[in-house]
Formats: sequence, C-alpha cells, structure tokens
Amino acid sequence: MPSWYDGPIKAQGGIKARTRRGSIGSTWWSRRFIDLLERVCDKGRLSRGRAYARQGQVLSIDLAAGEVRAAVQGSRPDPYEVVIRIEAYDEARWTAVEESIAAQAVYRARLLAGEMPTEIEELFAAMGLDLFPRDLDMDCSCPDWGFPCKHLSAVLYLLAESFDDDPFLVLAWRGRTREQLLGSLADEPAEDPLRVADVPFADRLADFYAPGATAHRPERRPAAVAPDLLLRVFPPPCDLGRALTPAYRGLADA
Amino acid sequence: MRGPGSGGRARAAGAPRPHPFAAPASAVAGALGLDPAAGRLLELLLPGSAGEPLPSPETGRLAEVARPRLRLWEVPAVVPPPADALRVLAGHPGTATLRHWAAVAAFAHDLVRRGRVIPQLVPVPTSTPEPEPASAPEPAGDSVAMWAVPPDGARAVWRPVLTGADATYFRDLALAMPPACRTSRTERPSAEVLRAALEAFTDAGVRRAVTAPLLSKPPRTLQERWLAALTGDAASCPDAPELRQELERWHDAVAASEGGATRVCFRLLEPRDTDDWRVELALQAADDPSLYVPAAQVWSGATGLPGRPERELLTGLGRAVRLYPELDRALRVPEPAELPLDTAGAFGFLRQAAPLLQAAGFGVQLPRWAGRTRLGLKLTTRTKKQSAAAGQGFGLRELVDFRVDLAVGDETISEAELAELARLKVPLVRVRGQWVELDDRQLKAALRAVEGVRAGEASAADLLRQVVQSDDEELPLLEIDADGVLGDLLSGQAERRLAPLATPPGLDATLRPYQERGLAWLSFLSELRLGGVLADDMGLGKTITTLALLVHERAATQTATQTATQTATQTAAPAPAPAPTLLVCPMSLVGNWQREAARFAPGLRVYVHHGSARDAAGIEGADLVITTYGTAQRDLEILRQHEWRRVVCDEAQAIKNSGTLQAKAVRSIPTGTRLALTGTPVENHLAELWSIMEFANPGLLGPRSRFRTRFQEPIEARQDEQATRALKRATGPFILRRLKTDKSIISDLPEKLEVKEWCPLTTEQATLYQAVVDDMLHKIDDSEGIERRGLVLSAMAKLKQVCNHPAHLLKDGSRLAGRSGKLARLEQLAEEILAEGEKALLFTQYAEFGTMLQPYLAQRLDRPVLWLHGGLPKKTRDRLVDRFQHDPEPTLFVLSLKAAGVGLNLTAASHVIHVDRWWNPAVEDQATDRAFRIGQRKNVQVRKLICAGTLEERVDEMIERKKALAERVVGTGEDWLTDLSTEELREVFALTAERVG
Repeated sequence: MPSWYDGPIKAQGGIKARTRRGSIGSTWWSRRFIDLLERVCDKGRLSRGRAYARQGQVLSIDLAAGEVRAAVQGSRPDPYEVVIRIEAYDEARWTAVEESIAAQAVYRARLLAGEMPTEIEELFAAMGLDLFPRDLDMDCSCPDWGFPCKHLSAVLYLLAESFDDDPFLVLAWRGRTREQLLGSLADEPAEDPLRVADVPFADRLADFYAPGATAHRPERRPAAVAPDLLLRVFPPPCDLGRALTPAYRGLADA
Repeated sequence: MRGPGSGGRARAAGAPRPHPFAAPASAVAGALGLDPAAGRLLELLLPGSAGEPLPSPETGRLAEVARPRLRLWEVPAVVPPPADALRVLAGHPGTATLRHWAAVAAFAHDLVRRGRVIPQLVPVPTSTPEPEPASAPEPAGDSVAMWAVPPDGARAVWRPVLTGADATYFRDLALAMPPACRTSRTERPSAEVLRAALEAFTDAGVRRAVTAPLLSKPPRTLQERWLAALTGDAASCPDAPELRQELERWHDAVAASEGGATRVCFRLLEPRDTDDWRVELALQAADDPSLYVPAAQVWSGATGLPGRPERELLTGLGRAVRLYPELDRALRVPEPAELPLDTAGAFGFLRQAAPLLQAAGFGVQLPRWAGRTRLGLKLTTRTKKQSAAAGQGFGLRELVDFRVDLAVGDETISEAELAELARLKVPLVRVRGQWVELDDRQLKAALRAVEGVRAGEASAADLLRQVVQSDDEELPLLEIDADGVLGDLLSGQAERRLAPLATPPGLDATLRPYQERGLAWLSFLSELRLGGVLADDMGLGKTITTLALLVHERAATQTATQTATQTATQTAAPAPAPAPTLLVCPMSLVGNWQREAARFAPGLRVYVHHGSARDAAGIEGADLVITTYGTAQRDLEILRQHEWRRVVCDEAQAIKNSGTLQAKAVRSIPTGTRLALTGTPVENHLAELWSIMEFANPGLLGPRSRFRTRFQEPIEARQDEQATRALKRATGPFILRRLKTDKSIISDLPEKLEVKEWCPLTTEQATLYQAVVDDMLHKIDDSEGIERRGLVLSAMAKLKQVCNHPAHLLKDGSRLAGRSGKLARLEQLAEEILAEGEKALLFTQYAEFGTMLQPYLAQRLDRPVLWLHGGLPKKTRDRLVDRFQHDPEPTLFVLSLKAAGVGLNLTAASHVIHVDRWWNPAVEDQATDRAFRIGQRKNVQVRKLICAGTLEERVDEMIERKKALAERVVGTGEDWLTDLSTEELREVFALTAERVG
C-alpha cells in the first residue's frame, strides 16, 4: 500500500536495544558516557534514538581506535553510514598511561576482574588527557536536518549500552584494546575442569549396573558465611544484584 | 560392535527388541508413586545375550551369559519431573543406579544450600523434538527437551556453579556413574549426563527453597519476566538474547574463577613490634596447598607454580577487594606483596574479612591462636590433706577446696591485669607474650566475674557436674588443675594415670597391657558409681575386659566376705551374694557372650534370659544375666524388680535413638552403675552420643534440647572448635576409646588376630535345617557307596546354605533382611569396620551367595561393596582389585573363595571375614593370606562366622580338638565327612535346639 509517509524500512536482524524499559548506565563508566551524550544531544532526541534502536534499525557497529562506524537502515534502500570520531591517543601518550597503570596493581587487578576502576579517569586527567571525550565528532550520511539525527542518536544509545557491558570498549576507542593493555595478562581459553575420561561400555559389560569408582563424599561444608556471597564477589550484570539477593538469602535454609 | 567413526561410542546393530523382563511403565510409576502419564518407551543399550539383557545385581541372579554384547532394547520407562524425581530419591533408594542418582540429588541440595547456584536464561527450540532417550527412570536425559513444553521460547533456570572442591566431586561422581545410568540409544558421556541431571535438580531445589517471588509487581520488561520465572513452577519466559548472553558471561566468569591452577591466599602475620600487623599476599597451588608462594616471589618470577601466576594473583586480588575494601590500600603499588594493618584492622581481618574471603574460595591462613586463645576461666581444686591419706576410700562426696581464676590460654591473670586490658580498649592484646582476641562482650563478662568471690569448698561430685555442664560462651572454662580422683577423672586421661589392674585370678586368659588399663578404668568409674562408655576399636577385646571386670569384682567381694567372716564370730550369717550384672545385647550376640564367658570366666555363674523357655528364677544366684534388647523391653517389669549391680549395653548403637522403646526400657532399669559397649566412634554421631551418655550417666549432659543447641548444632553446622573442646571435656571422663592404630596399642596386638563369631539361627533357618537333616538321615539308611557319599555331601552343602540364609537354600529370590542370624551379625561387623574407616575381605565359597550379598550389603550400608567371582573377565577383576587397593574409601570386598585363590594382592584390607567355612584350614589360610602379602604393615583381624548349635560349630570343635590331626583329617577338603557312620553323622549334623534364637 503506497503511503504518503516515508517511514524507515523495517530492518531484519538489526541490533536491538537491550531493555524494553528501564535505563542504561548501571555502571559508573557508562553513566559518564551518558552524561556526555545528554550534553551533546537533548534528552528528547536520545530517547527517539533509543526507540529507533529498539526497532533494530542499526545493522552494525564497528569500533576501532578513534572511530565508531555504524550502518543504520533508514527510509532509503541503502543503509546510512554513521561515523563518530574521538581523538585516539598516540603511542607516546599511551606508553605514559600504561606506566601509570602499571604503577598501581589495583588497576590491573580490577580490570582483570572485569571492572573499570573509578580512579582511572583521574589517572588520565593527571596526565592532561581525557578518558571520556568532551566532544564527539559525528556524521551521518542521511539528508536529515536535525542534529544529531535519529540514526546518530540510535547508534549513540547502543554505544552507551555496550560500554555498560564492556568497560574496555572506552579504552579501545581511545586506541588500546584489552589485549594490548593487559599484554600477557589477557585471557586465554581454559580447559574444561569438569571433563572426565569414561571407561567405554565395552569394558563394563560385566559390571554394567555397578559404580565404576567411589565418589568421595566431601566433608559437609557449612552454609556460606554470607548467603549472597556469590553475588558480592561476582556482581551480576544488568543491575540484577538487588533483585536476586532475596533469592540467595532464602537458600541458606534449603 | 562399534559404529563407524563413533569414537568409542558403542552402537548396536539390528532393530531394538522389547526387553523381555521389564515391568510396564504404569507398574513402575505405581511402585514409585509417580504420575503414570509420564510413561515412555525408550531404546537403551544394554549388555546381554540375543535373548535377554543381563540381570542387574539387585535381582540376586548370577549372570549366565558367557560373552555378553551390547544390544538395543526397548524399555518402558517413567520420566518424572525433577521435583518428583527428588522426592523418589529422598526415599530409600534400593539399587546401585538409584543410589547414584540419590548422591547426585544430595550434591545438588548441598550446592543450593551453600548458594553455589546462578540463574540463567536458556533458549528452547520452538518445535519440541522427539525427546532423546535416556536411562529410565533416572533423569539422565536432556533436561530441556524432557521436562518442559515451553510456550515462550526460553526458560529461566538455576544452574550449579562447579568450582574447586565441587568440581572435584563432580568428576568423582561422573567417574563413579554406573554405565546403566548413562545408557541410551548410544553411549553418552557421563559428564554430560551428570550435568543435565544436576542442573535439573539444582533448579528444582532452588524453586523449592525460594518461595517468595522476586518481583512485587507484575512483570513488564523481558528482564522482569525472566525474574518472575525464576521462582514458582512456571519456568518459561520469552527469550531475550542480550540478557541471555550477559548471564552466560556472568556464569563463565564465576565458573572460571576457581578453575585456575592457583588461588590467592591471605596470611595474617603477627607484629614484629606492637602495632604493625601485616597480611601477606600469596599464591597457592590448587592441587597442592603446601606449594605456597608469597606475592613478592611471584613478582620476581621464580615461583614453580603452574599456570600464569601473575595474572591469577592480580585477578584474584581484583575480586577479593570487592569483599575486603581495605585491601585496596595494598594495591597502590606496582607489585603488591602485603597489606599493613593496625591492631583494630587486624581484628577486623580476623573476625570479618577472613571468614568471608575463605567462604569465597580464597586461601586464608591465621596465626595458631586465632579463634582459640581467649579469655576464660581456670578451675583449681585441691584435695584436703586428711582425705588424701584415705586413698581408695575417697569418693565423689568428699569436700575439696576450689578456686576459679581468670585465664588466658593456660595462664591465669590478676584483677589488676584485667583492669589494664580493659583500659587499653583494643580488641587484640598480648598477655604474657601471647596474643588474645578480646571482644567487648567478653571483657564485660570478665569484669563481672571478678566481682564475685570465686573460691571455697564443694563436693567433688558438685564440681564434676559444674565442669561437665559449664556452658558459659563468653567466659568458657579453659583450664582445669585438679588433683586426686577429680583430677584423674577430669583429665580425661584416667586410663593412663591409674595403675593397671593385673589379670584377676579366675580369668582364664592373660590380659594385654591396654586391657589391664581398661580394666583399671572400668573399676575406677564403677567404684565412683559413675557410668562409662567403652568404645575401643573392634578386636581390642571389649568383651574380655568386661568379663575381667566381673571376675575382678567377684574376687574382691569374696575376699571381703571371707575376711569379714573370719574376723566376725562364727555365728554371723553369711553375707548376701552381691547383685548380678545385667547384660543387654542384640540377639545375634547372645551366643557369643555365653561362649566367651564360659571360656574365659568359667567361675562366673551365667544365666541367659532369652527365648520362650526363659524363667526369671534363673536370675537369682547368677553373676551375669544375659538378655536381648527385645526381651528386656518385654520383661521390663520383671527386670525392674531385681536388684542389679550394673546394667551393661553391648552394641550400644541399639540405644542410639533415645526415644525408642528399647532405649527407654533399658534406661529405666534401676541399677548401681552402667556401662555401654560400642565399637562405632560415638564422637562422630552427636545425637547418638547424647543418648548413650544419657543411659550411662542419666542427666549429666543436661536435657537433649540444650545439648543440641550447645554442642550438636555448633559442631555439626560450623565445626565450632570451642564447642568441640567443651564437649570433649564434658564427655571425656566417661568415654574410653582406643584405636588399633594407637602407638601404645599396636605393639600389644598380634599381627593376626583370629576370632570366632557365633551367630544364632532364626526360627525359619532352624526349621529348614531340621528338615534337611531328617531327609538325609532317612535317605542314607538305604544307600551306600558313591550314592551315600553324594547324599551326605549334598546334605552338607544344603545345611551350610541354610546357615548362610534360607534364601540361599531356596534360591527363590526372596527378601534377605531379618531372616538369617549370620547375615545380621555380618551386617553388624561390616558396619563397625566401615565406621572405623577400614576395608574388609568377605570370603564365601558360594558364588550365588556372594551375588546375593553384594547388592544387599551395598544397599544396607550405603558404601562401596565390590564382588569378585569366577565369571568376571580378567580386565574387570583387575579393575576391582585396583580400586580396592587404592581407593581411600572404606570398602567391602566380597570374594568367592575359588576365584580368589591365586594371584590376588589385597593388602589394603585390615579385616578378613569367612562368611562360611570350607573346613580346610589350608584353603582358609590361603585366602586369609591375600591380606598378608609383602608390604603389609598393619594388623589384620580374621573372623570366622559359625552358626551356633549347627554342624558348623560341631565341625569347628572337631578341628579345634584335633589340632594336631586336623591337617591329616581335613587336609583333603570335605570328603572325610562322608566316611563317618550314620550315627556319627547324626551327631555332627543334629541341631542343638537351645541355640535357636
């Protein structure tokens, strides 16, 4: 049905915003990024971008040093190209940052444990650098007049969400990936600790119904000192800590 | 036959056949109380012949297929929801496979209780595929496909977190999994099956435990719908890929946390000066905690640790700082090695951080005094001069001087010192060079305590009661310095402090040194009119020590009577005979006691009050009255009317449950003193300990409820050291438990201790026995030569089978429990052996009896019971032997005498039981020697089970009597029996009626 309204083409397999409701920014670093966004584009535009992102119109986002490139399905058959640039720091500056990071084990320890230490922003500032950009150099290939356009807004919103999940993305945008930063300390796939070598059935025909070994009953271990210990050592994603705590408290009496 | 390229997964050829013996699904559902609608038809790989699968051990049938092969069988099955499966498994699982699943369910429950679970979102394929067949009725299948029909595309589930010791146990369980638990159309890996089952069980367990919903309002977002689906019965919710991936990442981070080769360790170091405490950071190898490398060394690079030490140290610290924010200070340097603390900080580490870090899987090492050395009380008592001279006459009614002081560890401190400590207002203080934790509550209690006068005079009995019942948690009784009898008692070392009592005249044996000490201890408690618990390891001679006590007392009374008679005028009336001792034991032990008493204490007048012909008149004039728990309960009123010098409970486990009628009955018989004999380590079973102590010394430990809150719960739930020490002090004076392995005992023991155990026949056994004898005697009258020999041998075999078990003779697959005196005794012995953490070889000459014994004992004792017989392939035998030799778990090994004849090395056993007799000492010794190979260092106890009053006892007597001739007579096996005359046979085979239980 022809329409006078030139709405966006529904994208298939686009990147959808994570939450239908509720807000992003559950961690301090993504909060900082959102503060920035709210400075460069007003709330109304950002929430429009969020709605747009929820429809799955953003087809891809690639993040590299100094540059985020995204493809967004708009009203034309060809997706629009979105580019968001910030300053990527050069080798000399990064070397200095890395030295500062190395000077205090707490940075590496917290980064390895999956969180961004709050002080890292101060560390950058002390060297006259910004961790989070003050300004964004943004561009979209769409003909829209508004700035930022809804395509840009959608990408910004998804970017903020990604930062929420992976603090290392902020650093990667500035020019250092997690692997580069942690060097030899970065992850490597671990062996499955639960794997066992079974005796094949063919060798167990005579005692098919019998245990093949004795499972050594571990000593009965006391219930956790704090029932929600697991939540405290490994904070759950998506701000679920508060919602899950009552469940863990209930387990001690199981 | 293997499928092409199936990599070890066996696959059977041919179309599946219906299992010829399987019960219909509805019958299985009915028997287990499950919904019959859950019935399915599964195809399972099972070993067997073309006609039928091999019987499982629980059928009690010997497999008769020479070369079994894997084939697909159609088996009706019930696939219950996990919650129902948990309920079934919580019952009394009867088969090895169900026991395995019960262990998995228990593991799941433990993980849930400790909060080692993590919520996840699992997508479900929109079109539910045909469920993957699995071993039924066990929940081994793909949990998603089998248990849910999701309308929403995904499910909220609670998954187990398997790290550290839990991962180890997971692997143990996977390796132990019987093949029958993981069979399906193909051979499934045990880890996969175990994980699916464990996930289903943890999910069901959490849902059972968490009853309140996690949302207070109706869910609106995807995340909220997932949260709502985490509790209650409805687990399905819409899929949310981003949330799912987040949760998966979270799960992986948790799961990877303890999988590493090392773990981070925190060690509190005492100050070199006054206030400079430090926590040393370190790495510890996960599989070898003795490999402890301080962080400073990790940074220098040379650690010898596996994995990537720097990374693991940093990651661990990054996690630990979330639990212990103070740690952040230590991480402000490039290569952190320690965290400096002031005294308050050190106290905070001890009390708050350390338990939290430990629970989170970090290593924590505290100084030796931590949690131990604290402020408490010290009791000093001194015997008054004049009564010390009275020596033996001193009793517990005597008055003694006592004083109570404040103490730290074993040092007393003065009021002034206490005031100084209070003034310092620090929680960790050094008192005479020793660090002490001092919290506010304790300090206040101590200040209150010094206000009252704490010295004076009291009876020894009162002080004893005070010590036993002292339960001030703020100011515990730390130290006791007592002399005289009270000192001997309270030291818990009375056995060592008392002069041993030599073998009393009239005892037809020589006591070993530790038995002399045991006798002195029993006699000492007896004179104080206190009850005791003799809990020596089995084989150390509790029976003979008890008999020695009776003989000793009888001799002492007689001497006293004689002396009295001599000094008094000739006209004085003879002193009345002392009251008898009442011994209560399980029926299976009556014959044993009777025989041991006759053999070792022939002078004791013994009356057995048991059986339908019992007559209470026999109690008069007896020194020892033997009865059973059942009879004691039935004849309670009669027994209560008599005066008893002592009541003895043998196998006191029988009264371990204080509420049972038996326990109440035995407790209610009035007596001078009491003695409990038990071979199981009472200190490991606190509820039983209370019950046995309540028998021995009524009221001494206080009421059951108090005992539970004061000792049982703190010790069992928290391994509370202070409660453990307090309990030991409260019960130590009354319990004597010596282990075979004690240095002072082992040198007194022979390398091989041979014991005969006499068992009664049940009425059923006796009736069958008599029928076999009558039948044989009737037949041999008309036969001779080979025919006669054949008849005699066959009758003899039948009689031996009756002695083993009626079902062994009848071969009808009927139930085993409660029908054989020998089996009952075997069970008791096995239970004691396993409770002592040891291994035993059980020999039988009948493969069919071993086949019945193995599943029965495994089920009753819930411990590994291996079974080696001639029908096993060499590989399987070797595996069994290897497992028995190297597995640290207490294990029973049933062996057929013939199959075990050659080449087996079973030196891990410290017990050998000959369940039935071959009557050829050479063959029996050869079997016994399996446990005595080169490399054997420990002592071995050999027991031969003999049914009292039967041919087993008669032949045993003949062998004993003709020791010298024995080898010639019986060296050729059992053929010699056939040469006996009919009259002789009648004598050998006849049943002595009074032996029947």
